[in-house]
This record gives sequence, C-alpha cells and structure tokens, in this order.
Amino acid sequence: MHHPPAPRDLLTRRDDGALLALWTLFWLMMALVSFEDHRHNADVRWWEPLLWEGSSCLVASAWLLVARRAARRWQALLGQPWPWFGRHLVWMPAVILSFVAAVYGLRHAVYALLGLRYAHEGWAYLIFYESLKLLLFGGLWLGIFFGLSSFRSWQAERLRLLELQRSLAETQLARLRSQLRPHFLFNALNTISSLMQVDVARADRLLTQLADLLRASLQAGAQETSTLGEEVGLLRLYAGIMQERFGARASIAWALPDELMCATVPHLVLQPLLENAYRHGVERSTTPVHIVVSAQREAGRLVLRVANDGRLGGALGAGIGLHNTRERLRLLHGDAAEVSLSAEGGRVVARLALPWQPQGA
Amino acid sequence: MRVLIVDDEAPARDKLRRWLSELPDVQIVGEAADGLAAASAIAAQSPDVVFLDIRMPGLSGLEVAVQLEASSAPLLVFVTAHDEHALRAFDLGAADYLLKPYDKDRLSKAVDRLRLRHRQSREQAPGQSPPLSVPLLPAVQLARRHVGPSDRLLVPQGPLGEGLQLIDAAAIHWLQADDNYVHVHTAQSRHMIRRTLADLLEQLGSERFVRIHKSAAVNLAEIASLAPLFKGDHEMTLRSGRVLRLSRRFKDEVFGRLRG
Repeated sequence: MHHPPAPRDLLTRRDDGALLALWTLFWLMMALVSFEDHRHNADVRWWEPLLWEGSSCLVASAWLLVARRAARRWQALLGQPWPWFGRHLVWMPAVILSFVAAVYGLRHAVYALLGLRYAHEGWAYLIFYESLKLLLFGGLWLGIFFGLSSFRSWQAERLRLLELQRSLAETQLARLRSQLRPHFLFNALNTISSLMQVDVARADRLLTQLADLLRASLQAGAQETSTLGEEVGLLRLYAGIMQERFGARASIAWALPDELMCATVPHLVLQPLLENAYRHGVERSTTPVHIVVSAQREAGRLVLRVANDGRLGGALGAGIGLHNTRERLRLLHGDAAEVSLSAEGGRVVARLALPWQPQGA
Repeated sequence: MRVLIVDDEAPARDKLRRWLSELPDVQIVGEAADGLAAASAIAAQSPDVVFLDIRMPGLSGLEVAVQLEASSAPLLVFVTAHDEHALRAFDLGAADYLLKPYDKDRLSKAVDRLRLRHRQSREQAPGQSPPLSVPLLPAVQLARRHVGPSDRLLVPQGPLGEGLQLIDAAAIHWLQADDNYVHVHTAQSRHMIRRTLADLLEQLGSERFVRIHKSAAVNLAEIASLAPLFKGDHEMTLRSGRVLRLSRRFKDEVFGRLRG
C-alpha cells in the first residue's frame, strides 16, 4: 500500500520569523496600551496590567503554536476559504474555555502568591467578553495565516507552472532527438534493404511498420497523452522491427490485461524503456535475451514493467532515457509517479508507476 | 580476396554475403556475430579483408581492430549505421567505411578501393614504406587513436591456442619479446601472442607500461625496487619477486616515469 508523502510546509523559516516578530509586536502593543490605560488609576498597581496581558499572551501563544501546526495539515484547503476557516473555527469553543480557564487560573495563582485577591467581573460576563475578544483577534490572526499561506501556495504553483513549461519544451526536443535513435532507424532500413532481396512482402510489411512508428514519433510533440492500448500498439511495431533484426537472439512476451488498455499514460512513455531493454540487454549479449512487458493495477496506481535478462552493470548508459522519463513524470504527476531500475535475479527491471486514470475520467 | 563478414545482426550479414558472393574475385572465408568470434576468425583464417560492424556485443568492431598487429592486420572496412564520433575519426584518417543502409553501387566502390589496396600491399616488399598513392593511416592505428589505450588484451586460450580470451591490462606484470612472439606474464599465467613488442606497447599505451630493454617492458605499478649494476645498468625487482635487467638506454625514461 502506498501512502502519499506528507505535504511540504508552504511557510518558510523566514515566514515563521516574520510571524513571530509580528506576534511579539502585537503583544507589546497590547501590554503598552493596557499599561497606559491604568497608569493614572490609583486602584491598580503598576504590574497588574502586565500580569493580565502576560498571562493572556502565554496561553494565546500556546494556541498559536497549535494553529501553526494545523496550518500544514489543512493547507490543501487553501483554495476554498470557507472550509479552511471552518476547520479552524470549530475549535473556537475549546479555545475559549481553555483560554479562560488557563488565563484566569494563572492570574488567581499569582495574586494568591502575593497574598492578594484578584477581583474581576462575574464568570458569565467574562466568558462572553473573552469570546468576543478571542473571536476578533483569533479571526485576525487566522486571516494573517491564511493570507501568507495563500501567497506562498500561489508562488509555489506559479514556479511549478513555469518549470513545467520550460521542461515541456525541453522534453519535446529531447523526445524528438531520442525517440527513434538514428542508430535504430538506419539499422532498420538496412534490415529492410537486406530483406527485400529475398522476401518482398516481408520487407514491405517491415517498411510500413517503420513508417507507422516514425509517424507516431513525429506526433510526439503535439500529443501529450494517449491510452495504454495505443502505446502498446507502438511498442509492438518497435518490437516487430527488432525481432527481424535480432531473430533468435531476442524474444518478447506481453502480460497486459485488456481492462488496463484504457488507462491514460504520457505519450511514448514506455518506448525508452523497451529501447533500453534492446540496447542494453539484447545488443550487448551474445546469448538469447527474453523481454517481458507487463502492466498491473496496484492500489490506485498503474504499474508498468519492462524486464529483460541481463545485469545492471552494463546498463549505465540507460541513465539518460530513464532520467528523461523520470523528469517527465515528476512534472506531470509530482510525487505520485515513480520510475525505478533494479536487478532482480538475473533480470533488469524498469518499473514505472503512475496514478490510475482511465480515459475520459 | 579472402573476406570475413562480421555483424551481430543476421539480415546485415545476409546482405553482405549475397552481394559479395556475386563478385568473382571475392571468396568469403567466414562470418562472425560478435567481437570475440571475429578476432578468433581473423586469427584462424587470416583473411585479406574484414567487413567489421562497429556495434556488437562483447567487443565492438573498434575494440577488435585495436587488438590486431598493425603491420599484418587485414584490410578493415568498418560498417555502421550511425556512430558520429567514429565516423569523424574515419574521415580524418581516410579509412574505409560503409554506412548502413548501402546499395550495390557503394559496396562495389568500396570493393574497388580494397582491390587497389590489396594489390599494393602484396606488391610492397616487406619493410618498405607504403607508396605515396595510399596516403592513409592503417585502420588499426586509426582505431587505437580513437579508442585509446586498451584496458583488456586478447590472448590465446587453451594448450594449442585454439580460442581467445580477454585479460585485464592491469593484471599484466611484464612483457617479454621472443622472436616473432611476445610472452605476456601475469600473476597466474603466461600467454604467448604473435605480435611485436612495439606494436603491443602502442596498443596498451605508455601510461601503464614502460620499456626496460630492447626486448622487455614492465607494468609500472609492478616495479618494487631498483639496484645499480655495472655500466649504468640496473637490477629491477618486480613485486612478484621476478628480477629483470633495466638497460642503460631506457634508464632515464624509467626513472622519469617512476618520479611521475
């Protein structure tokens, strides 16, 4: 079972610093105002306003830390302000009760220690009054949180889009360069050139396969996705040409359930993997190599595998094709897609996992 | 002309065989599907010409070429679909190559050139420099320049030298010239190959090996100690315990290399 990784915190260390500064400033101001208000009141000792604001600040800070932690959990909701505020505000009764209990408990304790008595309004009025104050200031701080997080989320999204655009252009170029390598193309042509001397019909069929493949690869720039069924069609063309070239040196098996053929996949996403199986498996081996192409649905994901006999050591050059594929999937699906290459008991397995998306869904 | 065809893809071999066998003065003496088999066939058949595919499993065509004795190697025609770097090197050295796919016309042009070269190499007396009409670097040397010093050396295998095997160049302790042969000494074994010491050193590169007298060279990493003898000669002890003589003529070179 695959768990999606915890979302990255949108707020940076600098944001936290700014929030802390703002928070400090806010409480200094509250303390100052309270101090000024009571300066000329003979009934109030000079330290009393500071104790009142200080105890409030202490308990409010604790709740602020909790809210800061919760912000990450609910940052996915930033796009919908009402649910976002709603999720925070349902905690308000708990905040109010705990706030009043903790703050007044603290104040009573300090007064008692000094041998004094803390006189204040009746509890019902207090709770009403503090609720209003907390709603007002709590709402203000939630607003600040919301604004800052939204800004950061917008920034991250814009960055991702820019990166996506840039790399789309790059991958298009890279794809045109790498999809049908010149070496493959010229060798295929040479095979046809040899075959047409002895079997015109077979040469003709091979030529048509090559043309279909070429056409699909030229469309690669215009088309971003296709169905797994279409992709497999192209893979079979490619494998057919390779079969003519390598004969008994290569064999291929397909384990592809029909019900998966409607899955949406990036166009030509499997081609580099099959190409690697031939280039690093078949072409470098003097003994016959068996290739297996398979697809499976695993917990909401489509898992595609291309496995070939051989060892990983010889596949160091596979880096570029695999890297391009990984980069492309990362941009399309973020952390939800994976590409890996591993050795499993005398076989090299290229594995590709992406979110399951049936066509038209 | 006796011709060997080397390509790992059967259709590519078929095509060459079909067209070459139509030529009256061409005799196909064998085919090989990978580098090691190609080297064995060259050793066994000594063909005049080898059509050598570049990309093959095991040893590539270029890696086969560098293992051949430059002066006695067959004429090589590299056959490739697309190898930009190698092609640039061939152009510089005016080596023969065929690009896949090719038609009969191109093949026959290549064969014409081969006939000319083949005749010239036969008419040329041994030891005489090639006539000016062939202003090209032998394919073997071209391949060596392109591939760089060999990390592996092809040596005969089995009591009668019937097969070939690759050994690591780093595992070679020293090389000993003996008439037309060189003895290759490693920790476990001694291999005898039909090469000149100079040609072998050109293949293995001067980074790793240094000559110590007219008919011997050592792996620099294997030198344990040196002790002076009379007349400027030195006694060289290898890490294996083997004692060799370092002649006065090569002393400066060896000392320079050891100081690095």
